Amino acid sequence: MLQIAFDPASNPLNNNEWSFPLFECIHIATFAMSVGTIAIVDFRMLGLAMRRQTPAQLLKDTALWTLAGLIIVITSGLVIFTTDPLRYYYNPSFRYKVIALVAAVIYNYTIHRKVAQSNPSPWVGGPVAAFSLLLWISIVFAGLFYAFT
Amino acid sequence: MSPAEISLAIQDTEFFTALRESALVYPIVMSTHLSSIAIFGGLILLTDLRILGLAMKSVPISDMIRQTRPWKWAGFVIMVTCGILLAGSKLESYYDNPYFQIKLTLLALVGVHAWYFHKSVYGNAAQLDTLPAVPRVAKAAACLSLVLWVGILSAGRWIAYYDRPLPGQASGATRK
Repeated sequence: MLQIAFDPASNPLNNNEWSFPLFECIHIATFAMSVGTIAIVDFRMLGLAMRRQTPAQLLKDTALWTLAGLIIVITSGLVIFTTDPLRYYYNPSFRYKVIALVAAVIYNYTIHRKVAQSNPSPWVGGPVAAFSLLLWISIVFAGLFYAFT
Repeated sequence: MSPAEISLAIQDTEFFTALRESALVYPIVMSTHLSSIAIFGGLILLTDLRILGLAMKSVPISDMIRQTRPWKWAGFVIMVTCGILLAGSKLESYYDNPYFQIKLTLLALVGVHAWYFHKSVYGNAAQLDTLPAVPRVAKAAACLSLVLWVGILSAGRWIAYYDRPLPGQASGATRK
């Protein structure tokens, strides 16, 4: 059994009625911000929206908001994690979520970024964008399935 | 019939009972509801930020509004469909939940917002691009849109934290 150095029962988030849902709202709003700004670049690479702009231009325009969203969503996620670390640690959905999140962040700032900057044809950009969308959406699903497993 | 009886009758239908009791379908519908918030909400956020001049500055406002419109509609339809499924399957515990009522009110206000600003902002996108500065009415529309959607999202999350008070009990708020 994993040992933790502090008692979650003393965590402020477990000791009032409003702070836990508040952090959940911040978490949801900022994953909408990060995933939504990535999705618009993906839609462009799939040729489905914003066709008058280039993928490189959209990536440049959204980059700051994606990064800000990712920083806040991950920070708020860590705060939520501290309310019941062991339960999260042993949950398979949560484990998938953490691994997929690390993979998605690396993917976003390497392959996805390079391809978007090169203004690819739909044959190259399409699969790269589709994988990005599926990966991010799977993280949202895993976050929710955590509560049901 | 009272609202309580109508809500119970709806959630007791075979369809909503099966949905509520499904270990897989119910969380899938909820995840889809949240995923469409990410994508559809993200498009709204970027459009609002563009109007406010905070993001996407190299994209004309008309492109931002018009080219994302079909996707906003698609996302909205998926989100509302999933929302109806989720609410319907637990309607007896939702109908008098104050956060659920706030959420529905804010959604109605989103409709009022779209109607009110259609002529000056959303249906007038091409003209906005020709102006030297974004008019105040467009910025007001963008700010209100952000406030409404953050409110809807927050009210939606808080639905889960409300329990109807038992007879003789004063407050209904409890921890999940």
